This record gives sequence, structure tokens and C-alpha cells, in this order.
Amino acid sequence: MASLDQLKQTFFEECSEALQQLESGLTEIREGGGSDDTINAVFRSVHSVKGGAGIFGFEDLVGFAHVFETVLDAMRSGKMAASHDTVDLLLSANDVLTDLIAMSRAGEPIPADHGAECRAGLERLLGPDGGDADGGEPAPADFEGLDFVPVRVDAGADDTTPRVYQIVFRPKPDMLKNGNEPLPILRELRKLGELALAADTCALPPLGELEPGRAYLGWTGELTTTATRTQVEEVFAFAANDCDLEMAQMSGPEQALPVLAPALDAEAQAAPSVVASPSIVPPEPEPKPKPSNAEPAAPRAAPPLKAAATTMRVEVEKIDRVVNLVGELVIAQAMLGQVVHGLPEETSGRLAQVIDEVSHHTRELKDSVMSMRAQPIGAVFQRMPRLVRELAAKTGKKVRLEMHGENTEVDRSIIERLGDPLTHIIRNSIDHGIETPQARLAAGKNEEGTVRLSADHRGGRIVVEVVDDGAGIDSERVLKKARERGLTSPDKVLNEDEINNLIFAPGFSTAETISDISGRGVGMDVVRRNIQDVGGRITLKSERGRGMTLQLALPLTLAVMDGMVIKVRNETYVLPMSVIVECLRPSGADIKNLMGSSGVLQLRGTLVPLVHLCELLDVGRVAATEERVVIIADAGDGSLFGVIVDELCGHQQVVVKSMEESYGAVAGVAGATILGNGRVALILDVEKLSELAVSSVGTRLDKLDAVPVN
Amino acid sequence: MPSAAALKVLIVDDQNSVRQMTRISLEEIGVRHIHEAENGNTAMDTATLQPLDLIISDFNMPEMDGLGLLRAVRGHPTARRVPFILVTGRGDRELVVKAAQAGANNYVVKPFTADILRQKIEQVIGKLS
Repeated sequence: MASLDQLKQTFFEECSEALQQLESGLTEIREGGGSDDTINAVFRSVHSVKGGAGIFGFEDLVGFAHVFETVLDAMRSGKMAASHDTVDLLLSANDVLTDLIAMSRAGEPIPADHGAECRAGLERLLGPDGGDADGGEPAPADFEGLDFVPVRVDAGADDTTPRVYQIVFRPKPDMLKNGNEPLPILRELRKLGELALAADTCALPPLGELEPGRAYLGWTGELTTTATRTQVEEVFAFAANDCDLEMAQMSGPEQALPVLAPALDAEAQAAPSVVASPSIVPPEPEPKPKPSNAEPAAPRAAPPLKAAATTMRVEVEKIDRVVNLVGELVIAQAMLGQVVHGLPEETSGRLAQVIDEVSHHTRELKDSVMSMRAQPIGAVFQRMPRLVRELAAKTGKKVRLEMHGENTEVDRSIIERLGDPLTHIIRNSIDHGIETPQARLAAGKNEEGTVRLSADHRGGRIVVEVVDDGAGIDSERVLKKARERGLTSPDKVLNEDEINNLIFAPGFSTAETISDISGRGVGMDVVRRNIQDVGGRITLKSERGRGMTLQLALPLTLAVMDGMVIKVRNETYVLPMSVIVECLRPSGADIKNLMGSSGVLQLRGTLVPLVHLCELLDVGRVAATEERVVIIADAGDGSLFGVIVDELCGHQQVVVKSMEESYGAVAGVAGATILGNGRVALILDVEKLSELAVSSVGTRLDKLDAVPVN
Repeated sequence: MPSAAALKVLIVDDQNSVRQMTRISLEEIGVRHIHEAENGNTAMDTATLQPLDLIISDFNMPEMDGLGLLRAVRGHPTARRVPFILVTGRGDRELVVKAAQAGANNYVVKPFTADILRQKIEQVIGKLS
């Protein structure tokens, strides 16, 4: 049995779900959508919170929830219109409710005036006579002045007066086959009082014709008991289908049926509008028209964010453990593959087939397990509406938040790391990007700015975009600031993109507008580092006067990835498949050598800069005349470069193991894995490599106009 | 006098925390056989398959509310006689009237103590031993 504390926790979890429903429902209504079901669901959410709060003794919560609920009740019964102002007030009420719940959950004392303004607003909506003022008082056990008389079952019967029933009990022939037995039934009957029964053997055939599985006997007799008729009938309840039962009360007080309004009785018999029971119902003796399965008010359910009835709560550690084990399984199975590879043909043939099947199942297992860890990104997105509302209010700007792709599933490990960067980016957009209503009007824009937050699966990655229609980046100001802070040399010529990317440089911050909103010293460089730490990428596009787009590209998961195993000299490495565009074995004629660089590759009309991996990783010297394999990779900003390696060993799933805890972060290394042969291979961070390549080879590379091959 | 320990009771409420609190109250009264359902449909499954002495249902539930469940039970050939107590919130006066018309045996206002619950149950099936 759960303790009170555990039940309180359960209640607070239910509150979280209710708050989510509230937020999305109210937002829908505000946007002009929202059906009757939406407002009903919103009402129910508050009602549930109030009910549970009452049970667990959170009186402050009850009081506020009650006023909130009363307004919603007026709205759903049509007595109050859902104007913009009203819904905005309700949204604030939701915020207050969220706070009250959080404080109750943490056991913090609730300041007496918390949410007082909002509450007063709600009470004003209700008017002097609307709504009842009993929110603060303890619940009455009964409603005053109501004429409700509890309906007694067995009304009028004195419990101790014995009755006599005459019973005729005839099991049907197939009763035994259906799992029912007469003997336990008779024993139960005997428990109720005095039973005088006689067996009726007239149906019993001669022994030679007796089928052991059939029931032939019946019984008649009298039962003297203080039990009610219902209680006696109940003894036969399970066998109702398999027998014929007659019961007549011979003496003693009669039992009255529960009093039903006569209109209802007739209605229950004939009306097809009552919800029918499922097909297990035994057929009625007088067949009444079987009500069809039409439900009185077919729920036009507004699709919830996630179907509530078919989910289960599992501790995160349990899932992580499974993910780990599956990772080990993938590695072990790769090793098995290697061993088989080395066996003679005759043995390996059949074995290879089986291994193939095993690896197919392992792959599916891995996918299923990873999808368990996947959560809809809406979990992170849901904090944003409130953030936007508060920021807009604080800065006096009008901002609208659009969200798309909330159902996009992302690995849990990434969701956790996404919250802060996203919050900061949106803060930035509203603080610096979106202009004041006057400025926007003057610029010929809509008074209300829009921030569009979206998530999507693209090319093996999760792409999250924050697009605003504000003023974009003021590149002159950025350049000036960067020069002031020594982040770039005064005479270096930079194009607009490069200037905009300066905001990612460490130490850059828009000093004159450090308010408590944008935070102290949390610059875009921290945001970028957060994203890169999870193997993601952040890119920025700004159009002066039109707005800014920030795009975050994140890996689908941190745990397992598709990799290309390569060899350089005697070392084996893994490159993430997601960055590989093409692999080639170019002829010598296509490689042009340029002084001071590793050369360029002529690829279908464009020049792609090359890098010798052996040089970059310092594992050997370049041999000038050998044929090489070139892997064309995406450098992260859309441009391509070619990595020269010795050998391509194949494409496989690798389990990513992080090395950071033991060895710290090493530029160019994203992690490590164990290959099928049991050896460790480092997983390379290609984007970092391209940066290292540029810096090691010198500035010549950026003079080559490498145009992306599209 | 019906024995509390022999009673078979079904609790219906979409909030798990509330179901558990009601269960605790019932156990305090001495009830031992307690079924739970979190919506009207699973409640109907139980009500039609299991012998029940009492149904205690919340009103405020999605898809099928407590009144809907009451009507479904009262309309069902074998379940129709099961006593039904509707759980209502503080502001639900009109609801109680509708519940009476639909055939509820009694109502109880949330939040309730085990004593109040016992009282309400005894008003319907008689003093519990």
C-alpha cells in the first residue's frame, strides 16, 4: 500500500499533466480554435487539481483553483464569452496555479498575496452574484437544503427476519464444460441458512450412456435465510448462463427494488441511447431490443498531446541500464561476426546466415530501446510560451510564439541539454531581435512580432529552428564590439556571415543591454558549446531588418551511431556516417597540388580542399605517390572538404562511449568505440577536424573558393 | 447486518491519487475486496463481470462522466441493481439532483473522511458490522 507521501507525489504528477492540458487548451482557445471539448477538458483539469488538493489538504491551492474553476464553468455553460482579455487572464491564472502547485509540492509557505491580483481579476469577471464564495470553507458533508433522500437497498426489510425461498436449480447439460460446477454453488447456498434440497434425477441416463462431462442432475428445495433475494441470486451469478433458476419467496418480508423514477425505468428498457454493455451479457429471457453501441454524446475527442491511457511510468535508470546492455550486445555481436569471418567456408556458411539474423534482431532491439528513451520535444517546448509571455510583458513588446513539431521525438539525453540553450536563444530574440511595437510599425511591419520554434527530423539529425521576424543582427555594431574586445584584428576583412558568427566568440556580449532578462554573462558562446557538447551544430542566418534564424542540428542519440571504419597507417578510426557525403578513389589527375596545402580535388567542376588524416592526427608521413581513398565530408557549415585515408573498412553501427570523464575533451575526438575485433577505435569529430585542417594548413585554404556540390 | 469485510466495492476515478485515498478510507471502514477503474468503460467491464455490492464513482472524468456511468449501469440487465454512490465536488448541487433522477443511491462531497464515507454507505446498505 502506498504511503501518504507517495500518493502526494502521484497527485503532483497528475497536476503536471493537468497543467499541460490547461496550457495547450487555453492557447488553442486563444488562437480561436478549440471546441466544446477543449473548454470541457480545461475545466476538468482545474477541477481535478482542486479535488486532489482538497483531499491532500492544500487549502491555498483549493481556494484559488475554486475561483479559476468557477470562471471556466461559466465559460463552458455559455454564460461567459471567451474574449481575448478573458483568456489572457485565464492564462495568467494558469501561471499562478503552476506556482501554487510548485510551492505546495516543495512544502514552501505560500505568501498570502501570491496571485491576489489575478484572483481579483477572476472574481471581478464573476460579478457580485456569480459564482459561490465557499471556496475557502471546509467542504460540507451535505448540501444544505437539498431534498435528497438516500435510496436504501432492501428498504423496509428487517434484516433478521427469516424468509423462505423455494428454489428450483437445473444446470444445463454443458455447464461443466463451461467451467461451472453445481456443488460449490450448493455449498454457498447452504452458508446462507437452512437448506432442504432434493435432487432431481429424472434426466440421468443409464450408466452405459453416461457422458462424464455432462450435467444431468437438478435440485429443488427450500432455503430459509435472512439473506435478501439479491444475495441469494448472487450465489448463482457466475453460472447464470448455464442453468435454469426459479426462485419464489414463500414467506417473510419482501425486498423492495431501488426506487427509480418511473420515467427512467421505461427509458432504461427501451431507449437505444443508453450505452450498451459488451457482448458478455447473457441474453435476456424476454429479448428486448438490444441497444446498439451508439454512445449518447460520441466524444469528439480533441487529440491530446500523447494518449494518456496507454503509457507507463518507468524509472529512468532502468531504461538506461537496458540501453547500456543493448550497446554491449551490439559490440559482442560485431565481434561474433568477425570470428565467423575468419572461419573456413564450410562452417562459416550456415553460421554467417544465423549471424545475419541475429544482427538484424539486434538492430531492431536497439531501435526499440532507443525509441523508449525518446521523448517528444514538446517537453522542452512547453516552457517557452510562458517565457515568451513574461518577456513580452517585461519589455513592453508584442510577441507571438508559434511552435511546430512538438511531437518530434528526441533522445532523453538531448532533451535535458536543450532547455537552457533554447531559453537563452529565445530570450535573445525577444530582447534584441524583436523591435518595440512602435519601431515595428514604423518599419512597415506587423505590430506583433513572431518567434517560430520548430523541430524536425532531417537527414539523420534533429533540426531545431528559432526564427524571428525582428531586426536581425546589426553587423556594424557587432564588428565594432568584436574589435573593441580584441576578438578580431582591426584590419581583417570579414564578410557579413563571418561578422554575424562573431557573436559566438567567447567574451562577446551585448554589453549595453545586460538586463536581468538576458542574464549576466551567458553569451552565445556558452550556448554553442552546450550544443557542440552533445555533438550538435548551431548555425545562424541574419537578414538586416527582416529577422534572424538560428538552427540547431543535433544527433538523434548520443548512444549509438552509424559509422564508417577507416584505416590510416596502422590506426583504425571511425567517422560518423552523417557527415560523409561521398567516398572516392580519385585518379592522380584529379588531384591538384598547390604550394603550401595538401592539395585540392577536382570534383565535378568544383574544387574541394584536401586534408591528409595521417598528418592531422600525426600518425605518419604523407607518401606522395600512393593511391588514396578520399572521403568527402561536410565541414559543418555546408562547405565540403576531403579527408585522405588509407583504407575504408566498412560501415557499421558503433556504440559511442564517451572518453571525457577519463581523458577530458580532446579536440577532434568525439568518443571511442570497441570494434568487432575487440580493439578500441577513436571516433573523430569531423567538423573539428576541418577547423584544425584550416589552421594547420594555413590561410591558403580559405582562398580556394570551395563551392558546395549540390 | 452486512459485513464490511464481505462487501465488494468498485472505485471509479481517473485520478490515481484520489482512487488510492478512497481505497484507504474504505479499508479503514473494514472493506477488503476493492476493485478500481479509471474510466467509465473499464468500470462497466468490471460491473458486468464481477458481483458487486457497491460502486463509488467520481463525476468528473473524461469520455464518460460519473452520470454517464450511472445511467449505463442502471440500464444494464445484470448490473442495474448495484448500489451507486456519486462523488461530487463542492459546487455540484445541481448535479446531485440529476444523479437522483438517474438512479443514484447516494452522493458524497469530496474531500470526505472515512467516517463520512461510512455514514453514506450505511445510508444505502444498512449498518455495517
